[in-house]
Amino acid sequence: MSDDPIAALILRCAAQDRVAFRTLYRDSSAKLMGVLLRILKERAAAEDVLQEVYTRVWLRAGRYDPTKGRGMTWLIAIARNLAIDRLRSRMETLDDDGLDAVPDHAPRAETRLVAMGEARRIVDCFATLEPDRAEAVRGAYLEGLSYLDLAARHAVPLNTMRTWLRRSLLKLKECLDP
Amino acid sequence: MTDTPLTPKDADDALAAEYVLGVQDLTERSATEARIKSDPGFSALVVAWEHRLAGLNDDFAEVPAPDLLPRIEARLFPEAPRPPRTGAGFGLVRWLSGAAAGVLVLIVAVATVLPPQQALVAVLATADNRLAYEVRSQGDTLRVTRVSGLPAGEGRVHELWVIAPGAAPVSLGLLEGETLVVNYPTPLPGWSMAVSIEPEGGSPTGAPTGPVILVAQVLGQA
Repeated sequence: MSDDPIAALILRCAAQDRVAFRTLYRDSSAKLMGVLLRILKERAAAEDVLQEVYTRVWLRAGRYDPTKGRGMTWLIAIARNLAIDRLRSRMETLDDDGLDAVPDHAPRAETRLVAMGEARRIVDCFATLEPDRAEAVRGAYLEGLSYLDLAARHAVPLNTMRTWLRRSLLKLKECLDP
Repeated sequence: MTDTPLTPKDADDALAAEYVLGVQDLTERSATEARIKSDPGFSALVVAWEHRLAGLNDDFAEVPAPDLLPRIEARLFPEAPRPPRTGAGFGLVRWLSGAAAGVLVLIVAVATVLPPQQALVAVLATADNRLAYEVRSQGDTLRVTRVSGLPAGEGRVHELWVIAPGAAPVSLGLLEGETLVVNYPTPLPGWSMAVSIEPEGGSPTGAPTGPVILVAQVLGQA
């Protein structure tokens, strides 16, 4: 835990420590805002969901188990889930124009919040996939693309995309798991 | 690459990965969420994928967020000290006493006529009050009234939850009309109440599945 200050703050939130909640917001909101903006593309929506994220973090802090993973991973999972819920319930799929308007890759953060080893290994494992399939997995995770979006972007039928992605994911797992 | 079907174990694993990636449509996603809540084995697969893909989180750039803490805290801790009232409140009182003394008297009269046991338990409201529910208790029933805003859109419904400290949320029912009366004793100060958006007919799992849009702490006894 000593190397995971975010995890320590979440545990203090679970004990109803409101000062820790403020510190947690100060130390993690920029990363989560980056996640939400990347997926939702709109600042107003991202700010709206950010409030939702921290509300949920406070209410669910008791469920965080530091033995199961890093604090920031837990926070980002909550942020991504809420952002994707919001995207899917908009009931709209971006057309090609919309996708073009999305900045290709946000600049990498100076401060790396994820252990370098973890990031390094995932890069190596993505390299074992065919490039377009690796791109589909990354597009889904980072941009919140649905099967429908991915099928349109890669110009393949929906079921083909589903088969591609499922096989690629299982292959990734084989590579990533020790 | 062949198209042989996946083994059931692989299919579950692929489903967990699809959920974490977020590629499913809303219907598939809701069904998977229901499974996560009811099937601990499957839920563990989801958590494993969250960690497996966490290496990608490095790609999310940091973007300074505005200070939304005051709004978040107002939702979570409504009894938090507020800034002292400014002249506006005083002005309102003056205006009332000058121009509308009759109205003020009427309010006082109504307040004394109300049965004292109709105590205000919680106010669930957005920061701008565009949507607000009032919860009042009367004996062993709670009466929830929508005092502003609209019910959830088509195919969705607002569901009301009560949360004792350290316990899971318990559904008190669906907020479809303007008023919901439910047999439930008065929640204690320190408990929370919340409203989430759920599919028509309410949460399929017995726990909130949609976004929690309103949260309030139960008020202390006046």
